[in-house]
Amino acid sequence: MIKKYLPPLPQVIIIVFIIILLGLAIKIDIPASSLINDLFIRLILNCVLVISLIPMVNSGAGLNFGLPIGAVAGLLGMVITAQFGGKGLTGFLLSIAVSIPFAAASGTVYGHMLNRVKGREEIAATFTGFSIVSIMCLFWVVAPFTHPQMIWVLGGSGLRNTIGLRGFWEKSLYNLMQFKAGDIIIPAGSLLFIGIIIISLYFFSRTRTGMMMNAAGENESFARINGVNIEKIRKLSVIMSTVLASAGTCIYAQQYGFIELYSAPLMAAFPAISALLLGGSSGKRVFLRHAILGVILYQSLYLLSLPVANILLVPEMAEIIRMIVTSFIILYALAKKSEERGDV
Amino acid sequence: MNKIKELTMFKKVATLIAVIAFAASMTACKKSGSKADFKIGIVTPSLSASEEEFRAADALNKKYPGMVRHIILPDNFSKEQETGITQIASLGDDKDIKAIVISAGNSGILPAIQKVKEKRPDMIFVTTPIWDDPDMMSKYVDLSLDTDWVRRGESIPEKAKKMGAKTFIHYSFPTHIAKEVISKRKDKMKETCARIGLNFVEVLTPDPQAGSNRQAMLQFLNEDIPRQIQKYGKDTAVFGTNCPMQDVIIAKALELKFIMAEQCCPTPLQGFPAAMGLEIKPEESMDFAKINKMISEKAKAAGVTGRLSTWPISVSIFLPTFGFEAAKAAVEKKIDLKNIDQVKALAKDIAGVNVTFNPMKPGMTNYYLIIIDSIIY
Repeated sequence: MIKKYLPPLPQVIIIVFIIILLGLAIKIDIPASSLINDLFIRLILNCVLVISLIPMVNSGAGLNFGLPIGAVAGLLGMVITAQFGGKGLTGFLLSIAVSIPFAAASGTVYGHMLNRVKGREEIAATFTGFSIVSIMCLFWVVAPFTHPQMIWVLGGSGLRNTIGLRGFWEKSLYNLMQFKAGDIIIPAGSLLFIGIIIISLYFFSRTRTGMMMNAAGENESFARINGVNIEKIRKLSVIMSTVLASAGTCIYAQQYGFIELYSAPLMAAFPAISALLLGGSSGKRVFLRHAILGVILYQSLYLLSLPVANILLVPEMAEIIRMIVTSFIILYALAKKSEERGDV
Repeated sequence: MNKIKELTMFKKVATLIAVIAFAASMTACKKSGSKADFKIGIVTPSLSASEEEFRAADALNKKYPGMVRHIILPDNFSKEQETGITQIASLGDDKDIKAIVISAGNSGILPAIQKVKEKRPDMIFVTTPIWDDPDMMSKYVDLSLDTDWVRRGESIPEKAKKMGAKTFIHYSFPTHIAKEVISKRKDKMKETCARIGLNFVEVLTPDPQAGSNRQAMLQFLNEDIPRQIQKYGKDTAVFGTNCPMQDVIIAKALELKFIMAEQCCPTPLQGFPAAMGLEIKPEESMDFAKINKMISEKAKAAGVTGRLSTWPISVSIFLPTFGFEAAKAAVEKKIDLKNIDQVKALAKDIAGVNVTFNPMKPGMTNYYLIIIDSIIY
């Protein structure tokens, strides 16, 4: 029983690698407290984006390479809220609320499309994501926004590449209920907020609809015989993933302090998917613990490898080692996925 | 038979109307052009390819109505070079046009200049910049201008030292360092730092052009800058070689109060607007004096007066504007483009600060690389 919850070998390899890096970091006087603070920040930045992949994987719609669709809805929600003067924590919560309808609407269309390309969802999603980002590039230029902190400095119209959130709601969630334990800053508000999302997803998976969703992903024909409307349930999972991705983008921008428009969300899906696969998911059935472990491992690798390497090695080396380790683990996860499916 | 007659009649009337309309339009043209007795052609990339040059030409058009012929190069110049050359050569056919300013930032424009010069040896050419063979350009172009990218490797650390820096941190990533201009500038910075006694620190970030995405690079900067400042103290100048880095560097400078001597592209329009949340109304959009004042005020409010600096005007707006004014003055015989002192005086007038001109090669009298004096906020 305990063995079930222990991470399998590939994750153990990463953990060992991280422990070595951590030892080196402390040896060269990078304070552990600052590393822990940075890890918390990275968790807040990425956690919801990674979790947003879960509904789609479990319903059998594949890894959500179309995550930019949700990201763009989140960006839209944020610029609209900022335009109408949203500020502070209310502004941040409003931006999520405003982006939900956009995410739900685009998720419905996207889900319908994914139902029609069954079997090739992942590649179709990749290109849908890319095209939505390009279409929105046009929108950002012509949209009639007028807030003087958001429009281009030269032209007098159109939205800037990056919009600073300092005057709006930068770190409003991060500062909520934040307290210090020694040198370590604990962002309790953010952790609670993400915790609520995780717990509600957990309880959702226990409901009838949640169980139908997992059944659809595990064995489609069996679920169909048992009266599950596969198309409908898959579409619902896509909407959920898209809405979560838009909320994740709002949380990201809030923590990072800038809204990044234009081509910024183009590759948003890849780090999230890498983290999920790194966490031990087979890409067919994901548990929340995979997502959380994945984010922690993936982000720790980033957090530790470069500062250590900049001092100890030729810096390019750490980048290369980090890429070899992560890419191999991801490849392993994908190979395992094919094996389970019976493709190999 | 009758029908054919009717048709020829109709044709004649139609031709007559067309001729009258054409003649009327010609006189109309002359009338609107009579404000100035000559015109100047200005060639820029399209708005989507490069905003600043386009807006500069647009502003000139508003300032001197009827005097500007603004030609826009094809979006993908390297693939449609022939179209661009024909467009520029067509300017030479208009007898009213006495000077042409080309602000393209491309190579392969020189053939167009040669073509026009063959027909109209009196045509004045100013390039701001084009990137063809300097010796050939010096032969055909009356005044060639470009930014002195490599020499900034000297001027930036020197300025940082003046602003009180003791350490100079250079952030970049492998694929960027591989570019010739950037690696040359980095070597120059290292050399200069050693000469004037600054501690040069080179830090590499995750590479946004190979493997990692942009967010990974920016998040690394967010974490690494506080670490470095803790290690080397506040009197540290931070320089990043990539445009998106500037938002984070300036935002962190406001927070940690280190020195930002210059961005990778020196202009008040990069990094500052997002990091400081500058509120710029449409009618103030080209007013650099006002934008600089706004930045000074925000710097003061954050307690970083004297710690941020850049060039007071965007170089891609300054160069075409200056090129145009120089060409206009030359046509009006107010200045001689060969006389560098007169050119320098005009440049100072337009930029509002001193502009340094260095010959591209020793002895060249019509090809200069410029550096604009900085504003310290």
